[in-house]
Amino acid sequence: MNTLLEVRDLCKTYHKQSGWFSQRSVIALQNISFTLAEGKTLAIVGETGSGKSTLAKLLVGIEKPDSGDILLAGQPVKISHYRQYNHVIRFIFQDAAKSLNPHQKIGQMLDDVLRFSTVLDAQQRKLKIRQTLKQLGLLDEHSEYYPHMFSGGQLQRVALARALILDPKLLILDEALTALDPSLRAQIVNLLLELQQKSGLAYLLITNHLRLVRHIADDLLVLHQGTALDYGNTAHVFSNAEHDYSRKLINSAIA
Amino acid sequence: MLLLDIKNLTIELKTPDGLIRAVDRVNLSLREGETRGLVGESGSGKSLIAKAIVGVLNKRWLVSADRFNWCGQDLLRLPYDQQRKVIGRDIAMIYQEPSRSLDPTAAILEQLEEAIPDHLLEGPWWKRGYLRRRKAIGLLHKVGVRDHQAVLQSYPYQLSEGVCQKIMIAMAIAKAPKLLIADEPTTALESTTQAQLFRLLASFNQLKGTSVLLISHELESIARYTQSLSVLYCGQLVEAGETASIIKQPYHPYTNALIKSVPEFQPNLQPKTPLYALPGSIPVLQHLPIGCRLGPRCPNARKECVKTPTLDRLQNHYYSCHFPLIGKKDL
Ligand SMILES: Nc1ncnc2c1ncn2[C@@H]1O[C@H](COP(=O)(O)OP(=O)(O)OP(=O)(O)O)[C@@H](O)[C@H]1O
Ligand code: SF4
Ligand SMILES: [Mg+2]
Repeated sequence: MNTLLEVRDLCKTYHKQSGWFSQRSVIALQNISFTLAEGKTLAIVGETGSGKSTLAKLLVGIEKPDSGDILLAGQPVKISHYRQYNHVIRFIFQDAAKSLNPHQKIGQMLDDVLRFSTVLDAQQRKLKIRQTLKQLGLLDEHSEYYPHMFSGGQLQRVALARALILDPKLLILDEALTALDPSLRAQIVNLLLELQQKSGLAYLLITNHLRLVRHIADDLLVLHQGTALDYGNTAHVFSNAEHDYSRKLINSAIA
Repeated sequence: MLLLDIKNLTIELKTPDGLIRAVDRVNLSLREGETRGLVGESGSGKSLIAKAIVGVLNKRWLVSADRFNWCGQDLLRLPYDQQRKVIGRDIAMIYQEPSRSLDPTAAILEQLEEAIPDHLLEGPWWKRGYLRRRKAIGLLHKVGVRDHQAVLQSYPYQLSEGVCQKIMIAMAIAKAPKLLIADEPTTALESTTQAQLFRLLASFNQLKGTSVLLISHELESIARYTQSLSVLYCGQLVEAGETASIIKQPYHPYTNALIKSVPEFQPNLQPKTPLYALPGSIPVLQHLPIGCRLGPRCPNARKECVKTPTLDRLQNHYYSCHFPLIGKKDL
């Protein structure tokens, strides 16, 4: 199995102004390392403030690490090259609705994504949009819809369409499944599993939803106050977590 | 005694193209001290029902019912301010959107103290201020906030989601309500806090005999913390009864799909295998299918299903399906 993403000793500290003259530092991430192979799923779990969002920001390229490396298929990733690897890594956030422009039709939005990042001509883009909508169980007509015309679950599919239309290798899901109702969640999970099997897509799942993690993640990393506690095969961590904190987290979900 | 007893609740929205019926003839009842779960697909009308009960829907919505009894008294037949008074005194709600309940411009202490009604403070008037403060601190402890000093002086934006949610619960229970409605109280929270909150709601129910209407997507928690259950699909009640018996043997194909879609209820399911899911998605209210609303997605649909099924009952178990999963012959 080829390694797709490798993260080595990632560190990040924030300096917050507290009062006029003093600064407070918060260590958001401390020596985080992990690898993710093609076609695999890694779940990162932890409470708010554990560093999950910081990690996502570093991977997205919104923020720079203080030290450490992010390697994509063996190549170091630089923020200045963000646009170059923006095909390969795509993101979906919890609030799909908020990240869509309410005044733009869905078809137009997808077309923009393609124009910005590929060299396809108008005809090819049209075909690609149609294929992607179909893949996600949406209809051709939906191209003509504005975001407010979709239900919450359909919007989540639209967000997936936007992420998948560039045929990425890695999809980062930041709590993107949490607020869905169970039957919709099951549909999306099945879709993700199918895509993974067909095209070797890898997922980085940032979430609190441990029950789901157990079902879909190959590996699991528990973050707590910026450090990695347990890291390994999901089933193994679920049954043999070394740290009290991880055990507590796991028990709260399955007890 | 029945605390809440609603028959054929219908909620319609006035639009330029006519009325849209978002909730269609739903029955709902709660006994004193009962905890009922309300589940259903996104957009099925759960929040609308909750808001109709506490009377916070705006004027664009029309609420009607054959019966809307609270402690034996029909609320819809009371004058408006009388209605507000009864609801304000007896029913409290925790909203899906935390922003609805906390005022971002006021410190927690102020908001919490305001939520405590005068008649619950026992003591002479000159001690009221002191008693109110004690009570506010007590409420915070009750919802599991230990560090009351710091929290009381904070503004909502300075606190985490979890703490804000706990404060909302503290405010909701401040007036010692007879009914607490919690609309997805834990979606924004991490799993350790989620479990804590569900336990808190349950204990509140046991200690004080408060009834709880719990709306949630977390079916595992619903199964654990509620005694009875109502399942909605597309604005209609499809199944209702005791939680344990429904989870064990659902009669309605939608409920069945809901339960089977949760990996936790499928102990033999291998990791990374597909979950059970109905095809398609909930229809839009403007284009409802004829007959049973689940029809186009239902694996058991037959030609009889173009007629709308009625709500039938078998002992205390209600369902609305022509072909319940027990098979008619067992009835
Ligand atoms: N302001 C509005 N205008 C038009 N339709 C609305 C409005 N508010 C709600 N609806 C519709 O009413 C129906 C019921 O909505 P409701 O918020 O009660 O769903 P819900 O069951 O609480 O869903 P969720 O699980 O996503 O919270 C939905 O179909 C929704 O689209
Ligand atoms: S009435 Fe028919 S379509 Fe509706 S749930 Fe029952 S079997 Fe399915
Ligand atoms: Mg709702």
